[in-house]
Amino acid sequence: MRFLRMTAICFAIALLLLSLPACNSKQEGKVSDFEQSESGVPNDELFVLRFRQKWHPQAQFAGIYMAIDKGFYAQYGIDLRLQPHAADSLVFRTLYNKNTDIVQMDLISGIMENKDGLRVVNIGQVSQNSSQLLIGKKNRGINSIADFNGKKIGLWCSGSHYISRIFLAKEKLDMEIVPVNWSINLFTSNAIDVTNAMRFNEYNQLLQAGLKEEDLFVADLSALGYNIPDDGFYVSNDFYNEHKDICKRFMAATMDGWHYAFAHPEEALDLVLRLMRKNNIPANRSHQSWMLNEMKMLILVPDKTPGRLTKADYLRAVSLLQEFYQPVKAYPFEEFCPND
Amino acid sequence: MINSKREDKTLAYQLITFVFVITLIAFVVITTFTQILLRRHISKTQLDNMKHLAHESIYLIDGILNHVEQNLHMLCIMLSDRRFSKEEIESVISEAIQHDNSVHSITLAENIPAHQSALVFFKENGKLKVNDIKDINYFFGDWFQIPLMLKKSYWTEPWVDSQGSSELIISFSAPYERDGIGGIASYGVSLKELQSLVIDSQCMEGGNSFLISANGTLVAHDDMSLVMNHSLFSLADEHNEPKLRELGYNMIAGETGFMHITRSTMLKNSWIFYQALKSNGWSVGVSVRRDVLYKDMRILLLINVFSAIILFLVVAYIIYNRAHELTKPLRELSEAALRIGGGEFDTHIPDSDAGLEVSTLSQSFRFMQESLFDYIQSLRITTDEKDKIRGDVIYAGEVQTKLIPANTDHPFGIKDLRAYGILEPAGDVGGDLYDYFMIDEDRFCFVIADVVGTGIVAAMTMTMASTLLPSLAPFYNKSNELLRELNSFLCKTDMESNFVTALLGIINLKTGVLQYSNAGHMPLYIRKLDGEIVKRAETHSTALGVFEDLSIGFEEIRLNVGDEIIIFTDGVTEAMSREDEFFGLGGLEEVFSALHYSNPENTAKSIVSRVHDFAEGSKYKDDVTVLVIDYKHPRA
Repeated sequence: MRFLRMTAICFAIALLLLSLPACNSKQEGKVSDFEQSESGVPNDELFVLRFRQKWHPQAQFAGIYMAIDKGFYAQYGIDLRLQPHAADSLVFRTLYNKNTDIVQMDLISGIMENKDGLRVVNIGQVSQNSSQLLIGKKNRGINSIADFNGKKIGLWCSGSHYISRIFLAKEKLDMEIVPVNWSINLFTSNAIDVTNAMRFNEYNQLLQAGLKEEDLFVADLSALGYNIPDDGFYVSNDFYNEHKDICKRFMAATMDGWHYAFAHPEEALDLVLRLMRKNNIPANRSHQSWMLNEMKMLILVPDKTPGRLTKADYLRAVSLLQEFYQPVKAYPFEEFCPND
Repeated sequence: MINSKREDKTLAYQLITFVFVITLIAFVVITTFTQILLRRHISKTQLDNMKHLAHESIYLIDGILNHVEQNLHMLCIMLSDRRFSKEEIESVISEAIQHDNSVHSITLAENIPAHQSALVFFKENGKLKVNDIKDINYFFGDWFQIPLMLKKSYWTEPWVDSQGSSELIISFSAPYERDGIGGIASYGVSLKELQSLVIDSQCMEGGNSFLISANGTLVAHDDMSLVMNHSLFSLADEHNEPKLRELGYNMIAGETGFMHITRSTMLKNSWIFYQALKSNGWSVGVSVRRDVLYKDMRILLLINVFSAIILFLVVAYIIYNRAHELTKPLRELSEAALRIGGGEFDTHIPDSDAGLEVSTLSQSFRFMQESLFDYIQSLRITTDEKDKIRGDVIYAGEVQTKLIPANTDHPFGIKDLRAYGILEPAGDVGGDLYDYFMIDEDRFCFVIADVVGTGIVAAMTMTMASTLLPSLAPFYNKSNELLRELNSFLCKTDMESNFVTALLGIINLKTGVLQYSNAGHMPLYIRKLDGEIVKRAETHSTALGVFEDLSIGFEEIRLNVGDEIIIFTDGVTEAMSREDEFFGLGGLEEVFSALHYSNPENTAKSIVSRVHDFAEGSKYKDDVTVLVIDYKHPRA
């Protein structure tokens, strides 16, 4: 029932977002902060590019919305068509079925889904770090990682559960794994003892549901040696070979959108909240502001190039997967993330 | 100074000011106490109203939710009991859906992960509809997963029932037994209906009711833009209001209480009463804005202030008029007193019927007027007499002045000698005397004397002495003989002021010999041509007029060319400064030493001028007399 409800909402969002490029065409000729950063092409021959979001509208995707709203994609010769969202494993299926051109997945999903005869390549990396946390309540007897043993842990049934599973395996923690969707209520109602959460989203949702920071035990996986970057953009290998330039332009416009969002956070939040409310998605500014700020810290990381996946991160992800989860077909970094 | 300022103010002004201050103090005290008491009363009443409203909402909502809970438990019992057939159960569900308005939908979901199947019963357009779900993964819905894991009933947060009527509902779900947990039965309740129970209770002006879910989400509020978008905690973040967060913690903890929120939120500057529902852990809040809560008090305060101002103005007007009326006879008396003071003693003193005090004051004024008139008449007579006496005295002084020789360069035409005298009486007439005259063609006689005392008697004594000496002089050769005769005369006259000091000298113009006698008088100074000062302080007898057989000696000095004889009375040496210091012989000798040349007029004027300067501002005054004789050279 919940799934259908979300599907319906996503469909409505897609209809809305599909209309955005058309709106942006009215802004042709408008000078953007990032307009001069990359070589642009005339707007009269736009390349139609289908992009499937991995979740409903929120500040996690503010850079893409700003790029659309400000006409950055059009300036780079792209007519970006947003498609209804799906979880990591499902967005991959749409790529597999050629129902989309570009999807957004976390790095481990990108590596794990690289199978079934479809090779994917990473054309850009949004998050440079992992935002994943494991959270327990102190009043439920969880004051350390060792206290996780014997407890129920809620892990997403979509692709983002891999890091948590690697963590449990490496730390040799014996926990009852409960597949969960996106609700935080299993945790607030004590149906589970430990939940996985993104710092930029669920963690703040818990605080806004009346849980106090001092009452929570938080295991920050990125600080515990499991810093495998979250979201990146993936296309099929065939698509990449055929449209390398389009992929580059997409990433340039997307990163311009992010830079604009960080430079104009209130404008970006207005846009995100407008999209969420039009789609009847519960939204409040303080949470979206938290999320945008966290995204800024995930994207603009010292010593890393914004928008690019590093070889070290890729190799660490492959290594952890191989050692603590399951064997995967690991392509050389240069093939997984070509940079030509 | 305060008094002088107070005197500048009219009686009416002072009375009005006094009344104003007293009224103001009384008003502030009374109003403060009234406001405190009223505030307590209003607060208690309004807070009771808030409690009542909250209780009403809680009663209504809990009534629905409790009913749902009971029905679901009944349904679960039936589902767990295999004796009830599927048709019987569906009949019960159908009955509940169609006749129980609080039930929005009923879902029966089987707990078979590999073969998910659920039936959703709901009402559409008054008719029962059933949605058979087979391909939808409902296992991750809160309504299914949480009660399944908790193994007990659970109220969900609001969610959109896309398989039912697509409205926001809350679900009450519970597991039922069938070889373990056979499935989950769930009752859906329309959130809109619960919202109406909360929002409809806004019958209090400035009041607002709201409902929050178990995790603090606003599920009912007057401002629909907040509903389902915000929790009390997100609002606390957005408005940086820790009190709102505290309110949220208290409410989701199921506590009951009051709280005052001050900062800018949807509960801006409001009192809030909150209490939890008994059924699902949600909490109802009723808020009232402080400005509305105390609106009547502010109106009352404004009325009080306005009334007090009007009352004060009326009282001030009355006081002004009454004071003006009361002080009218006083002003008339004042004007009459001014005219009397100006000499119009026949001025009419007005009668007054303004009161006993004013009437008594009029009588006193009249008595004062009559007394003053008599006194002035008496004073006028006395003054006339005094003026007459004073005229006589002034005349006597003029006569006395005329008895003193007039200053000329060479008295009596004598080329060998210059003389200059100054007599300044302390009053209209003086008790000092100086005189000089030729006894014969060779002898020049001079005298200076001081009668003890001042006034007309002393002046008369000196006048007699000054007329006596020239008449006696031709019959005596010696200065002491002349003084002895004068002493006899003074003793015989037996006047009140006959105690006289005198210095009398006779200069033989041929020989240049000065013979002189000092009867208790001040020293004689001789200033030599070279500026040397010779002081002759030896006296030859006591003062005259006391002992009739007084023995008086004399002394002779040979005068040199240019010798300047300086004699004076005690008015010179006993002149007092403002600091009560005497001029003394020292002061006199300083004058001598400052003289550059011999000239009787210059010497006499210098001495008197210095005495004036010295005694300036002093209240003590005596006759000042100086006689200076400049003897050029003997004729031989």
